[in-house]
Amino acid sequence: MRQPRLREVKAVSSGHAAGGQLGRNSNPRLPASPSDPRILAASLRAAVGTPRAGFGFPGGCPGSRGLSWAHAIMLARGLSRGWRGICAAALTGAPFSQVPSQAPRGLHCSVAAPSSGSSLVPRPPEPPRQLAKPPAPHEELFRLAPGGARDRASFVQAVQNFGQHNVHKRGHVDFIYLALRKMRDYGVERDLAVYNLLLDVFPKEVFLPRNVFQKIFIHYPRQQECGLAVLEQMESHGVMPNKETEFLLLQIFGRKSYPMLKFVRMKLWFTRFKNVNPFPVPRDLPTDPVDLATLGLRRIEPDLSAKVTIYQMASSRDSTGTADPTEQHIVGIQSPGQQAALARHSPARPVFVEGPFSLWLRDKCVYYHILRADLEPPEEREVEEIPEEWNLYYPMQLDLKYGRSAWDDYEFDIDEVEEGPVFAICMAGAHDQATLAKWIQGLQETNPALAQIPVIFRLTASTGELLASSSGLEEPCPPPAQEEEEEEDKTQRQQQGQS
Amino acid sequence: MMVFGLRARTCWALRAFAVSRRPLRSSSRTHAFAKELFLGRIEKKEVFPFPEVSQDELNEINHFVGPIEKFFTEEVDSRKIDQEGKIPTETLEKLKSLGLFGMQVPEEYGGLGLSNTMYARLGEIVSLDGSIAVTLAAHQAIGLKGIILAGSEEQKAKYLPKLASGEHIAAFCLTEPASGSDAASIRTRASLSEDKKHYILNGSKVWITNGGLANIFTVFAKTNVVDSDGSVKDKMTAFIVERDFGGVTNGKPEDKLGIRGSNTCEVHFENTKVPIENVLGEVGGGFKVAMNILNSGRFSMGSAVAGMLKKLIEMTAEYACTRKQFNRSLSEFGLIQEKFALMAQKAYVMESMAYLTAGMLDQPGFPDCSIEAAMVKVFSSEAAWQCVSEALQILGGSGYMRDYPYERMLRDTRILLIFEGTNEILRMYIALTGLQHAGRILTARINELKRGNVTTVLETVGRRLRDSFGRTVDLGLTGDLGVVHPSVATIVEEQMVLKRVANILINLYGMTAVLSRASRSMRAGLRNHDHEVLLANIFCTEAYCQNLFTLSQLDKYSPENLDEQIKKVSQQVLERRAYICAHPLDRTS
Repeated sequence: MRQPRLREVKAVSSGHAAGGQLGRNSNPRLPASPSDPRILAASLRAAVGTPRAGFGFPGGCPGSRGLSWAHAIMLARGLSRGWRGICAAALTGAPFSQVPSQAPRGLHCSVAAPSSGSSLVPRPPEPPRQLAKPPAPHEELFRLAPGGARDRASFVQAVQNFGQHNVHKRGHVDFIYLALRKMRDYGVERDLAVYNLLLDVFPKEVFLPRNVFQKIFIHYPRQQECGLAVLEQMESHGVMPNKETEFLLLQIFGRKSYPMLKFVRMKLWFTRFKNVNPFPVPRDLPTDPVDLATLGLRRIEPDLSAKVTIYQMASSRDSTGTADPTEQHIVGIQSPGQQAALARHSPARPVFVEGPFSLWLRDKCVYYHILRADLEPPEEREVEEIPEEWNLYYPMQLDLKYGRSAWDDYEFDIDEVEEGPVFAICMAGAHDQATLAKWIQGLQETNPALAQIPVIFRLTASTGELLASSSGLEEPCPPPAQEEEEEEDKTQRQQQGQS
Repeated sequence: MMVFGLRARTCWALRAFAVSRRPLRSSSRTHAFAKELFLGRIEKKEVFPFPEVSQDELNEINHFVGPIEKFFTEEVDSRKIDQEGKIPTETLEKLKSLGLFGMQVPEEYGGLGLSNTMYARLGEIVSLDGSIAVTLAAHQAIGLKGIILAGSEEQKAKYLPKLASGEHIAAFCLTEPASGSDAASIRTRASLSEDKKHYILNGSKVWITNGGLANIFTVFAKTNVVDSDGSVKDKMTAFIVERDFGGVTNGKPEDKLGIRGSNTCEVHFENTKVPIENVLGEVGGGFKVAMNILNSGRFSMGSAVAGMLKKLIEMTAEYACTRKQFNRSLSEFGLIQEKFALMAQKAYVMESMAYLTAGMLDQPGFPDCSIEAAMVKVFSSEAAWQCVSEALQILGGSGYMRDYPYERMLRDTRILLIFEGTNEILRMYIALTGLQHAGRILTARINELKRGNVTTVLETVGRRLRDSFGRTVDLGLTGDLGVVHPSVATIVEEQMVLKRVANILINLYGMTAVLSRASRSMRAGLRNHDHEVLLANIFCTEAYCQNLFTLSQLDKYSPENLDEQIKKVSQQVLERRAYICAHPLDRTS
């Protein structure tokens, strides 16, 4: 009763419509070490093609079969992450072609967001743009009903429809890959229940290894990869699997399987890495640029008594690109200590407005400016002396005539580089002198001493290396506003990474 | 006052005369006991035998104590004072007629001219009501003390008689919103008028006890002083300000936790014209005046708290012996007995310390006992809080009820740890003043050792040998070679180390005081001296063990010394300004 069903599913789900034996063992997507350009190219070709295109492949290089098995095992046992990112292109199934170009992406993400959606793992591939003409199988399940919205309910409906329309679960691997890609559009990429629902699409107990050889070698590799892809997408969105996930994986793949190994590792490391960042960034960043600037400034300034001042609000949200200084938001931060330092600053020495410097908050980049001064030359520095009549109760100083000799010095020899003081930080909608002058004006209200001190604007023309290396952008300054397409951010980062 | 005998009167007059000429100095006058302790020496002749008063004096005190005690137990309604937040006028009048407003004012100015010992004795009774005790202390321990210590003859003649009689009440105005113990941040300013006959005083003072009642204020303000090298500096000057000078206003009385009957409020000075002859001490010498006033007023807290504790022991013992649980009275339970032993022991120690210090202060030559006084204050205020808390424990639920006086005592006691210099600041004072004294002598010795002075080397080695043979108890006050820790230059910043040094010294002084007193009681055959010996023994053993532990903590790399970790924890907490641990119910998955 069981056996025929198994064979049928196997044949269908491997996506090659070939005899199970061949499709399973020859597995074009497994490993192909990237150092073997021939195989990589071949598998890429297989990857970009339709499922049918991949069909002819296994016969194409039968000689490499044994080699790629060895590679497969090595790879699965833990090749380094970067390699996996690149290999993933070859690994993760037919329709994904964009991956190699995205591989270096993770390296340029915000350092402050290791647990964010855009973590070091390559993002689950976007639907191919240039090859979008032949629709992916089961695409019709995600076609919106008239008046329907892309939300959790419709996604769940689509997944359930697959089960209903397809009693034998024909093509479920393709469907799961498709669903994984669609998750972001439906806003369910952080929903554990949906991931469990997706895993539930797999037929149960079919892929369980039944003998020792099946256990040693990867049993149903394509299905296991698909399971891994689900888990990896969970990982990249920081979704912690639960008991139900474990139960499903046990039912589908059994204990000695790669998805299960992945699951156990996630269980172990997620808990340890969840709070590894002492300065967590909120998962959902505020969309309002003023709120975002406030968040960024608070992250830069360690002093909790520092006060955030909104010197100017943008007159209208849409006009962030215009260069009118009266319409940009200006948000500044200053701590009482900085205020005191500015009050003490000698009017003979100028202060500088410098910037813009970039600060990444998850996938958003904000730019800030600082008001700083050069380090005072040692001869001008006031020696802080303890006033004679200071403390009413106890002596603040013991005047002992006892010079400490070298023997009494317990301190390590540390070289410290002193820097000039930073008096205030601001984030503004525009980075020209007119806008920043407004900031200085606002600062003068709380820092009367600033009126006497010459202020020199030392603004860099561009907003840093990022834009300097990006030639494709329409306008080099001002930098991309937060509302801009994320795609462009990505291309910038890639170009940067490649340069 | 008529009750005082001629002999005592002449004696006090003499003393008062001497007091009036007392020079104003903050440096040490004679070798005081506590400072020598820092060098590891015990000046036995300073503390043995325990100071005594003559039989005549004693009779007179007792004669005088009687009516005051009667008045306090029968007529003062502490509960009413606490509830209404005010001492009734008739009570104040009675206090004035008893002469309690001029206890330490010399007799020639109409006061009682009591010695420090007598003052301590009366403090025991006055402290039966916290509000009255604080009002009186603010009036004479700090309010008019400046005039006695630093005032000119004219100032004394003009102000002291009325202050001593209680016709005028004095207040001490030092604290400001921005300035607690930091004299540099005082904002009140006095500027010389154009005719150079007046100072114009402007500024606000906060938390002034008696601020609403007082007619005479000792005010500290910044003045411009031309230095010897011609530069103009801001320096503190003390002024005697009458309310009638004009421009003196006060805010409404503060609502306080304890001592609610005392009047505490803000005092504002607005263009108050202070005649130039009302400068107390020298112009620009206000800092030393303030320091001397603060340092001189502390020793009496020991006896005051002891008086209160004695009363408390009576009340709780009554309860413990009558209350029955499981057919046994509370007094039969070990944990209750322990608390009574603790109260008796603390009362005994602080009494001994207070009277020993008072006796030292009464000795001719005006020894500088400010360290001793600070030790008495720290020990007695902490013991008071601990004992009252334990007493509440004995009383159980009824201790917590407003119907009983205990919760009021608890509230009143809390202020003792805070005013007249918080205990933290006083510990710094004790440790640093002592270390300064010891440091000067020891660094001189080290420098000689370094230079290879043979005499000093031999002397040092000889002393070590002598100590190792001769002394059975290693007091452990000095390190190897009898020198202090080399990081003495930065010691001011090492507050946790200084606290330990101060604790050791306080314990040592307490041990000395009880040994001195117990041995005197034994020798003189006083009533129940065996009980005193028991108390002395308990305290000395406990304090010795504490000291050994503290000394081991002073070692930089000792396992008992957790300073680094403590600093780290507090740093992390303060950085975030919150308790940063995850909730025990939190999960990561």
